[in-house]
Amino acid sequence: MALSAQDKILYVANKLGLSTLNQMQGSTGAVYDTDIENSGQLFTSASRHRNPYLTNLTQNEFEVNEALLVETISFFVNNTEDDGGVSNFQRTYGSNAVLVFDLLIGNKRVMKSTPVFGAGSPYTFATTGQLNVGADDVIYIPRHQVFLEGAGILIPPQVQFSVEYRIFDVVTGAVLPFTEFDAIGCYLFGTRVLLNFNTSI
Amino acid sequence: MSQISKLGYVDNKLGAPSSGQQTTRILFNTIEAPGTTSGLVFFKTFQGLTNGQTNLTQNKLDSMESMVIKTIWLAQFETGGTLRTFGANISQTLSVLVGNQQVVKNLPIQFNQGTTGQTYDRLHDNGAFAIFSGAATPEFQQAQPIEIRLLTDIVIPPQVSFEVRVDSNAGVYGAGAVVCALSGYGKIFSAGNTF
Repeated sequence: MALSAQDKILYVANKLGLSTLNQMQGSTGAVYDTDIENSGQLFTSASRHRNPYLTNLTQNEFEVNEALLVETISFFVNNTEDDGGVSNFQRTYGSNAVLVFDLLIGNKRVMKSTPVFGAGSPYTFATTGQLNVGADDVIYIPRHQVFLEGAGILIPPQVQFSVEYRIFDVVTGAVLPFTEFDAIGCYLFGTRVLLNFNTSI
Repeated sequence: MSQISKLGYVDNKLGAPSSGQQTTRILFNTIEAPGTTSGLVFFKTFQGLTNGQTNLTQNKLDSMESMVIKTIWLAQFETGGTLRTFGANISQTLSVLVGNQQVVKNLPIQFNQGTTGQTYDRLHDNGAFAIFSGAATPEFQQAQPIEIRLLTDIVIPPQVSFEVRVDSNAGVYGAGAVVCALSGYGKIFSAGNTF
């Protein structure tokens, strides 16, 4: 039998000695951040970013008894010039772009050198989007997501997390420069644990 | 049997370490300027490739690492970066070799790519046609990569060489690059608790 998200959370919590996590509120959630500094790092500078325009975090760690089991990681482009909002990675950097990222929790690299292809990542169990670009013209808008296999990866309470990335041209192997007003963004989506006091305060 | 159970079962049979950080691995390898050929071999040559063209330095995983191949992904790019249908839609077969063993044998791949194919499973997008009166560019994508979701989990154990072969009758792969990615559940070295 496959491991459920809840089983995985409780398994890791038990290993880490988090004895009260099973009393908290289970939920669904996502956190996101945008690399407006073009530093190649996401979530590390979330405390300095406008909320919720660029991030929905005030720091790159969850508070006591809150956690997130990451089940989907997605990358997007945030147009920062005219508050244009979220756009597609491929439409800005091209089909030949590949974003290679690591996910770090605490001092540990839990996903390493994982590619997200501009042409559309291995987008397991998902259909693709399309965009009308003219009266009769439709083009593909690929997905840039990694759906975690197995049962996801837990970000425990009060442990810092971040994503490090670089963008390359997969044809030439060259590092692609950042475009001026198109900052790379990332969201982590999955099963959430929220603080629940179980008493009145 | 789930991917987690399968990996644990095979690692145990082989005496490989079962500890390690559980994660999702996507291995990829690029062949530059493949031209016209009847045979492509991915995960064989790493010389001269940057971190944007492969995330391995040899055709095997490290001693404490293993993974399950769940998805095979293939793409073909022109020199300018425009995505093209892999091998121009001609009939091609794919084989995966792990160690001395052929674990996927002559699997036809041309059905699983846009704009013409119909995927094996019912869950992936079908070969919908992208209508665009102008020429395709990297920003206006008219094709889709090949993607096949395997029904049987294939394990790559630690320190065992592997490769992916694509056979065709003089497939035209162009002067740009072709890329193969293998995606699935895996374990990477971990010195402590796993998340």
